[in-house]
Amino acid sequence: MSRDTTGSLDEAAREGLEALLLSMADDEFVIGFWDSEWTGIAPLLEEDIAMSSLATDELGHARALYGLLGDLTARDPDAIAYDRAPEAFRHARLLDHPRTDWAFSMARRWLYDTADAVRLEALAASTYRPLADLVTKIRREERYHLLHVDAWLRRLAGTPGEPRDRLSAALETLRPDATSVFSPLPNGSRLVEDGVIAGSMESLADRWLAEATSILTSLALPAPDPGADLAAGRTDHSPAFRWLWGEFTSVRRLDPAAAW
Amino acid sequence: MAPVLEPWEVFRREKDGDPMRHGGSVMAPDAELAVHYARELYGRRQESDRLWVVRRADIHDLADPDLLQPPLDRSYKKPGGYVMRDKLAAARERSGQAKPRARQGGGRSKAPPVDGGAPGPPATER
Repeated sequence: MSRDTTGSLDEAAREGLEALLLSMADDEFVIGFWDSEWTGIAPLLEEDIAMSSLATDELGHARALYGLLGDLTARDPDAIAYDRAPEAFRHARLLDHPRTDWAFSMARRWLYDTADAVRLEALAASTYRPLADLVTKIRREERYHLLHVDAWLRRLAGTPGEPRDRLSAALETLRPDATSVFSPLPNGSRLVEDGVIAGSMESLADRWLAEATSILTSLALPAPDPGADLAAGRTDHSPAFRWLWGEFTSVRRLDPAAAW
Repeated sequence: MAPVLEPWEVFRREKDGDPMRHGGSVMAPDAELAVHYARELYGRRQESDRLWVVRRADIHDLADPDLLQPPLDRSYKKPGGYVMRDKLAAARERSGQAKPRARQGGGRSKAPPVDGGAPGPPATER
């Protein structure tokens, strides 16, 4: 499958591809907005700048992914990002949780970034070339994100008392939703058949669960729930997300037709 | 025990072949985060192709004026030797010679003629 032939995709293949791009773009968009809330209030100035930069990296990835979706569907990427109702978002339930405290944000980012890394690896050789090309670039940035968040996970885990307690509590809260990055997608089986993604969401989830569980268990921290029900893993969003949606659409909604 | 923040000096290189130049500093509890923060403060806009991060406490400082700025004239230790300007001026005064005009045209130098006399001493001399 290549960009030139997307016009000839049958409906199921096109729906699968659109769902994949939308889920990835929404994931990056929503975690980018949650983490951008740390701007100005992070624990130290350098970390404030680092976290803000990471958050804008994610928004950059979202922008590129909405762009691919816009190419495929002849829609404006800004409109996809900002003009949908909250219930039309398809990010993982893991990202429905509010920012909360620093340990919580680090716990969530660790779960998301490690899961995203498994997903990106499975897309690196995608037969949908525009996605494979973009993923190659995104993975180079995500390498640094993984180093940064892994450093924080280990230092919070290794500091007895409040740091470790808060991290442990956050991972416990996130346990049921941790695997939701791998929630099944509509027409997901076509994505595998067509070679858009190397492996079903179930198989990617298994790979990630094995890796994540091994690391978290070695740090004596709560591991993701392997038996979580993921049927509604990307729908049915929380009140916290509806609040965030109100924030990130607040300017756009003042005048949706304005030229910026 | 909570880690203590300390300053780290960041050196950056803009492109291959350039020297490492001091960029500034970051506060961090250890080398791992210091490198991450250096990356964010001195590299996130692709302005560097290499960074060095050095704990400030590991730098041996020398700023003693007796050792670095001794009061006697040490200009004879510079590659250009003594400053000759004043001695030449005194010699011309004695012999009644005017200042020689700078070489005009014909030379290999593409630099425009220097107006009003011999080229000045190298910039390193005072």
